[in-house]
Amino acid sequence: MFNYTFHWRPAFNALPRMFEGALVSLQIAVLSLVIGTAIAVVLALGRRSDNRLFYGFATGWVELARNTPALFQVYMTYFGLGSLGIHLDSYASLLVGISFNNAGYLAESFRGGLNAIPETQTRAARSLGMGATQAFRLVVLPQMFRIVFYPLTNQMVWALLMTSLGVTVGLNTDLTGVTQELNVRTFRTFEYFLFAAVIYYLMAKFITLSARLLAWRLFRY
Amino acid sequence: MMNFRTGLFAAVVSLAIAAPAYADKLDDIIASGKLRCAVTLDFPPMGSRDESNNPIGFDVDTCNDLAKILGVEAEIVETPFPDRVPALVSGRADVGVASTSDTLERAKTIGFSIPYFAFKMVVLTKEGSNIDSYESLKGRKVGSTAGTYEAIALEADVKKWNDSKGSFRSYQTQADVFLALSQGQIEATVVTNTVAQATVKSGRFKGFVVGGDSGYVTDFVSLIALRQEYGLLNYLNLFVHQQVRTGRYKELFDKWVGGDLPGLTVPGVYY
Repeated sequence: MFNYTFHWRPAFNALPRMFEGALVSLQIAVLSLVIGTAIAVVLALGRRSDNRLFYGFATGWVELARNTPALFQVYMTYFGLGSLGIHLDSYASLLVGISFNNAGYLAESFRGGLNAIPETQTRAARSLGMGATQAFRLVVLPQMFRIVFYPLTNQMVWALLMTSLGVTVGLNTDLTGVTQELNVRTFRTFEYFLFAAVIYYLMAKFITLSARLLAWRLFRY
Repeated sequence: MMNFRTGLFAAVVSLAIAAPAYADKLDDIIASGKLRCAVTLDFPPMGSRDESNNPIGFDVDTCNDLAKILGVEAEIVETPFPDRVPALVSGRADVGVASTSDTLERAKTIGFSIPYFAFKMVVLTKEGSNIDSYESLKGRKVGSTAGTYEAIALEADVKKWNDSKGSFRSYQTQADVFLALSQGQIEATVVTNTVAQATVKSGRFKGFVVGGDSGYVTDFVSLIALRQEYGLLNYLNLFVHQQVRTGRYKELFDKWVGGDLPGLTVPGVYY
């Protein structure tokens, strides 16, 4: 039996606070994706590297990031590092945790992307007089981003949804944090969580659609 | 025209269909032979688990008393603080025996019995933090369990002090708050005197000390049930009253908490 009367008015009054929280969530998601992408490029190179140490480091990171729950990674960043005396605040822990996760997943996407680019591209670039770094940066990397663009979008949506884990490490400014505060204070669980779900949905849609638009502009031949 | 027998038959059938609608929660509990209590089990000495993982504590005993009087079996549904009301609303539990502070905000959603227990709030901190009173929390990193009475009061004060060095964090469980305090993520928390006592005494966390009284008004806590279940709420009121009257309240208090028995009334006003 569902014995519950909805109180919509107080929930609507709380919407401005929830929107503020949504912005914080979006901010963390964007930052974590930028940091994650930067690290992932390095890790992808590591996965293709002949240097055992570099390969081992990258593989270890990717394995850990992809095969453990994101909740565990965020929790460990906060309480795990905390037990070693390294104190990141809740916001930073969440950012580090999600960036770590993003980097691991994206590294594998990037590696796939790099593998898809024929070796002849690099050779052609080199024969035009480019250095190894130049060839990678100007010829290979742009093509790789074209290939991995959709996985990247996917990861962005995933990152946004993962920000909801911040509540477990005491974050109370993001969308889930704000929602949970409102919930425990008033016990109007269903109204607030429904609104939060709708806001998450709209943000995720916004990301996907704007990425499509961006891809259409960027990747025309 | 309908003859008498058809009419009687129709009346009996409609009564049979309509009758269950009159059975309220209290009837359902008695009929099902089971009382499901939402109890928070990381809140010693009110609710916790013993070495063999069985639920124990003041709230657990209270639930057992209630079940015994109703003539049914008690079932403890472990429920973290933020999930107490969802547990009732979604029908996973019948009654919340989980030290729920009777705020007016919450009473818009859930029904409260008369208070069955009362807490004083104290500051819990670590040795060497130089925190010896509530006022010295100003400009410090503090935290508490999301949604609790003390969390709401503490957060409001942190906002009021408006000290850039100070911060407030809320965690999902009491255990996480203690973990954060023991690691230094936060420098102090405000908890009930009972929890503070139990935690300091247990010795599970090194260096925890009580850093003075919080100065909050007494936190009265009630049993909770669905707001519209007056039959059950009335029964709970009588149950709480009888617990005190028969001396069972004192008995349980001495068993789990000890010290001065907190009064459950406020002078000068009816409940």
